[in-house]
Amino acid sequence: MALRLPTTLYGAPMTEAGTGVVASGVRRSFGAVEAVRGIDLTAAPGEVTALVGPNGAGKTTLLLVLATLLVPDAGQVRVAGFDPVREPDAVRARMGWSPDVFGLYDNLTAREYVQFFADAYRLGAAKARARTQELLELARLTEFAGRPVHLLSRGQKQRLGLTRALVHEPQVLLLDEPASGLDPRSRVELRQLLRSLAAGGTAVVVSSHLLGDLEELADRVVFVDRGITVGEHRLDQLPEGTVARPWRLRALDPDALVAALTRNGYDHDAPTPAGVDVRLANDEAAAALLTGLVRDGVPVVSCQPLGGALEAAYLELTQ
Amino acid sequence: MSPHGITTVAKQEFRLRIRAGRWRWLLGIWFAILLLFTSLLRAALGGFTRDDIVDKGIVIYGGLMLFVLGLALLVVPALAAQSVNGDRERGTLATLQVTRLSAADICLGKFAAAWGTALVFLALSLPLVGYAVTQKGVPVGRVVVVTVVLALLLGTVCAVSLALSALLSRTTTSGVLAYLAVFALTIGTLICFALTTAITTEKYTETYGAQPCPDTSQLAKMDPILRAQILGTCGRPTPMQESRARTDRTWWLLAPNPFVILADAAPQLSPLSAEEKRRRANGGDYVQDARDLDPLGGIGRAVRDLRKPPARNVASFSYTPLTDTRSAAPKRRPVWPYGLSFDVLLATLALWLTTRRLSTPTRNLPKGQRVA
Repeated sequence: MALRLPTTLYGAPMTEAGTGVVASGVRRSFGAVEAVRGIDLTAAPGEVTALVGPNGAGKTTLLLVLATLLVPDAGQVRVAGFDPVREPDAVRARMGWSPDVFGLYDNLTAREYVQFFADAYRLGAAKARARTQELLELARLTEFAGRPVHLLSRGQKQRLGLTRALVHEPQVLLLDEPASGLDPRSRVELRQLLRSLAAGGTAVVVSSHLLGDLEELADRVVFVDRGITVGEHRLDQLPEGTVARPWRLRALDPDALVAALTRNGYDHDAPTPAGVDVRLANDEAAAALLTGLVRDGVPVVSCQPLGGALEAAYLELTQ
Repeated sequence: MSPHGITTVAKQEFRLRIRAGRWRWLLGIWFAILLLFTSLLRAALGGFTRDDIVDKGIVIYGGLMLFVLGLALLVVPALAAQSVNGDRERGTLATLQVTRLSAADICLGKFAAAWGTALVFLALSLPLVGYAVTQKGVPVGRVVVVTVVLALLLGTVCAVSLALSALLSRTTTSGVLAYLAVFALTIGTLICFALTTAITTEKYTETYGAQPCPDTSQLAKMDPILRAQILGTCGRPTPMQESRARTDRTWWLLAPNPFVILADAAPQLSPLSAEEKRRRANGGDYVQDARDLDPLGGIGRAVRDLRKPPARNVASFSYTPLTDTRSAAPKRRPVWPYGLSFDVLLATLALWLTTRRLSTPTRNLPKGQRVA
């Protein structure tokens, strides 16, 4: 089936027909509440696409539509080339989804849990056994495989939940806040895992508030706010901010630094042990400030932007 | 829908059930109660030594089965009443729905697990059934039919409870409603029947045959007032106002009642042969035949009597009905096929509703219900 769908919104790359995720003009309301009022999203195979937006922007609802759980009120949706409404089983065979909050079967062991989903995805007995072992290793749960799920730590449970979404080697992976509650080490591992899945050709869609993580993980980012897509960009082509961003300055003599900033009319916060935060419009402004401070003899030790480019774009695009 | 899918869900549900509950205790208590009941019933029938009731097995078996049904109706709703919404609350339903298991797989798998558990309870009563059979009088055919019907009835309760758990968001609501549904089927049908029967009670005119007039010599001896009265009615048909309850119009209200179905479906016992009666009477002592105390047969006959249209009046003393076109007494006809069909249909409808509610993607989301 040849699909001809608008896939070049906001300069997103053309997606091969039949792969990845293509959603355009998706709308869905719950009673009087319009959760999604027109979201466009494309996620190409081999790429990690970040879905970013404030709470209540419609991210979870959109993912439920993509995950064959909700019928959209309007819009075109293709997941792995199939329509989630008319061909849910075809989508399910190729799509993995993990919600932000989910339950595990407390009385099962980790191995039984993975094995059950391998059965539910109709892997076949031999394949299911092998895949279970593989996933337990991937999630570093091999040594806890025989332990009841309720005795696992939060991070281990989160990883076990992820194995469920991966059990049938999906072409499309939809993850809603996968890193919430994970410790820094597990987050790094999650990042590596998702990158390696993308490298293997999976189309990964991740919704997250951890912009720092996303910056190192995502290839593309889709910003949503109040139910609509407000921006879709490659991560290396984020729009230049127009809003002043905070930069943190540290000097050997904080008092001299504060005095110099005040004297020159910079918008700065009260000094903290970490340094003094100053709002600057762009890189040029930062360079100019540094030049000035050095000229004035303030012993500046460091000057760095707070939050990444993604955070800047986020603050710019969402209200 | 596929056998593999249904088995996958059923196995999973079974495993979770076994690990979650204190089943050994529950089943132990269940069996202990049945054992106690059977012993008391046996003792009530003349103790363990005296033997003045023949074929005690009939009474023990019938009583035990009605008791098992009653007790099972208290246990079984709990087996499925929180199955779907409980999963939803724990956040394990949506993750199941996005797998390749279909809604029907999930529905039937859950149903199979609940029904299977109910059948374990039923199976525990079988040793006592075996004991009842050794007490004589219970035909194997009756045991087979009653067991099958009992299993179907418990399946109905499972299916209805499961549907309630799928239709309602809150586990407490569905739990309460499951018990109310059982109440409606057992006590509710009785109340409906009793109340509507009062409404259907009708007055009717029965015309009795003519009473012959006394001869003149007798009339002459009579008090004049009485004579006038008698002369006014005798020698011609007498219409009389009577009233009767038309239970033949309301018997079907009792049909879905599980106890009625179970009792009426039990094959009636064949009466004693003349030779057997003689043989028993030869002992001299009065021997009570357990057929007269058969609880299943008794209920069965009672509801079949309710189904009979009214007989065309029973003649008393010299009166004889004039217009009896019907054959003497209407036949008793069974009630259980209607009740059992109704209950099986109800179960089918319940499973269909459950499957529909489990189907994703969802278009209409009930108020207050999350998808995941």
